[in-house]
Amino acid sequence: MFPKSSQRRNWMFKDEAELQSLRVAANKKFVDEFKSRLDPNAQQAMLSAEEEKTLLRFYEFQMRDLCKRFVPPMPKAVIGCAFNYFKRFYLNNSVMNYHPKEILVTCVYLACKVEEFNVSIGQFVANIKGDREKAADIIINNELQLMQQLNYHLTIHNPFRPVEGFLIDIKVRSNLKNPEKLRAGIDELLDKLYLTDACLLYSPSQIALASILHSASKNQENLDLYVTQTLLGGDPSRLTDLIEAVRKIRSSCKINEPPSREVIKNLEKRLEVCRNEENNPDSQVYKERMAELVEDDEERAARRYAKVSRKQAQTEAQLLGVAPLDT
Amino acid sequence: MYSHNDDIRIHKLSKKRTKMDDYMMIKRIGEGAHGYVLHAKCNQTGKEVALKKVLVKRKEKGLPNEIIREIKTLQAVDCRYVMKLLDFFSKGSGFILVFDYMPSGLWEMLNDEKIKLSDGQLKAYMQMLLQGVCYLHENRIMHRDLKPANLLIGQDGILRIGDFGQARPFLKDAIKCYTPQVSTRWYRAPELLYGSRKYTEALDLWAVGCIVAEAFNKMPLFPGETDIDQLALVIRSLGSPTEENWPGHTKLPDFNKISFKQSPPLSWEKLLPFVNKDTREFIKAFVKYDASKRLTAKQALKHPFFNSEPLPASENEMPIPPYDHRTLVNGNMYENHDEELFEELSRLIDEKF
Repeated sequence: MFPKSSQRRNWMFKDEAELQSLRVAANKKFVDEFKSRLDPNAQQAMLSAEEEKTLLRFYEFQMRDLCKRFVPPMPKAVIGCAFNYFKRFYLNNSVMNYHPKEILVTCVYLACKVEEFNVSIGQFVANIKGDREKAADIIINNELQLMQQLNYHLTIHNPFRPVEGFLIDIKVRSNLKNPEKLRAGIDELLDKLYLTDACLLYSPSQIALASILHSASKNQENLDLYVTQTLLGGDPSRLTDLIEAVRKIRSSCKINEPPSREVIKNLEKRLEVCRNEENNPDSQVYKERMAELVEDDEERAARRYAKVSRKQAQTEAQLLGVAPLDT
Repeated sequence: MYSHNDDIRIHKLSKKRTKMDDYMMIKRIGEGAHGYVLHAKCNQTGKEVALKKVLVKRKEKGLPNEIIREIKTLQAVDCRYVMKLLDFFSKGSGFILVFDYMPSGLWEMLNDEKIKLSDGQLKAYMQMLLQGVCYLHENRIMHRDLKPANLLIGQDGILRIGDFGQARPFLKDAIKCYTPQVSTRWYRAPELLYGSRKYTEALDLWAVGCIVAEAFNKMPLFPGETDIDQLALVIRSLGSPTEENWPGHTKLPDFNKISFKQSPPLSWEKLLPFVNKDTREFIKAFVKYDASKRLTAKQALKHPFFNSEPLPASENEMPIPPYDHRTLVNGNMYENHDEELFEELSRLIDEKF
């Protein structure tokens, strides 16, 4: 299934450099388009691609916390799905255009729906601090936009099922005594990988295998024979690639600290100044746009009502044989 | 599970002109909980399409799950006997799915007095249905709402499974919980009626059995009027379930909520008076309490039913439904909505989004 998936075809990238260039381009695009519209103060505040990345990193920690604390407990597949969405979204969009705190919750909400983790919007926002009604509005307003930015590629392949597959295979085809004991170590690495770009660079099964080998080495077990002989059938050319991928995946989550509070505070302050007001729920422009959408529906109903009553008046007039009074 | 649908052009939200301008409305042809369906024509190609407009209930939960399921499922399928999603795009605060226009459905074909379907043609419909179901199940999708009205018949006479608003993926042998609130009542499998949350794709095959019975017997098999009546009807027909013919049924969530008088099964001759023996055997193989004993779609396609006289008609022997068949059979249920249709048009014209 994965080889033919939209994930493989549209959302897997060659290396960090490719991701970096996409992010720089997204940042540049926003700056080019909006800089001239901002006052000098706001122009100064605009964020660089590197700064955007720092902010996103902070929000990824926030997202992980939201998912872990979520009531009712959230299945792993939902969390994985939400992280994929978040990362995909900001490959092509600037933080200054869409505030990550708003996209983050929308990603989690959409992931719940796609993964059939059925929670109502009320239940959902009960997990969010602050103004819940406002949060619900923001989420629902952003949902379509998010889906579009994901090119409607909603199905996410997570490493969890490949992990189960490998564990079964290891039980059958390796001499490892108790593969179940690897679980804690596997989960630990997968958990950390949420906070990296691994899902944009490696296939779910590579990530799964990396986490298994990581756990095996932590548990002082050796799966080398299983990998080289059983999995790869002794083909050394494939082995180098695999070892390289596994090594990179494992090393990608070495730095695992959230950015410091002061740094984030400063960036957030600047973001408030330079963000696209059209997408800021507190701005007048945004409120007007949303009101227009709702009004549109109401207006339609009113127009329809007017038409029906006009018709009725006409029929009555015909029946009575008198012309209606022009009022 | 790749399909052409992955390649569908995605239309970015344009401020000036919408994707909707590519289509000319003909009329409203359906309505559901999600919104409504319009018959339209593509301005560029002249191709006739059905536009399924989904209204996003802003005050409730945003985009309905049904649409997310439908998009997810249809992106992943590519089968001659399953509806193709040609395109989809958002429009204002709503969402539009574009399908081939299908002038008729199995329901209309069965209920049009002017159309007399031969047993061979009915068999061919059932074969197409099962090929579609087989494809879906092989790709681990359960439809969960199979019924004659969701089996659409195209201008080429081919039957295609439609309406994936309740479809969802399943894992083989996985114990996962699903909602029992699916399916249209008459076609709802007994495990659902007892509130099961751990059912399997075999629920689709119960529905297939009911559809085959309805097609050949010319009347619905279990036309229950309420959910309880539905269960009563099934039990009256098949007899009270036993631990033998339905292991574990006493443990289903709603089993103790309601009890029915012990009753023996009715004979299948009585249940299906207008059906010959071969067809009866075929139907019996689906309409079983024990989901694991029901014929799978794959097995069903190899069943002697399809190899015995009269043989299934070939595709070029299938009746072509009249243009606008749905309206002819049902009457124009939506004529009072003309007003709204024009409203829709004028809205399209001055759409700001």
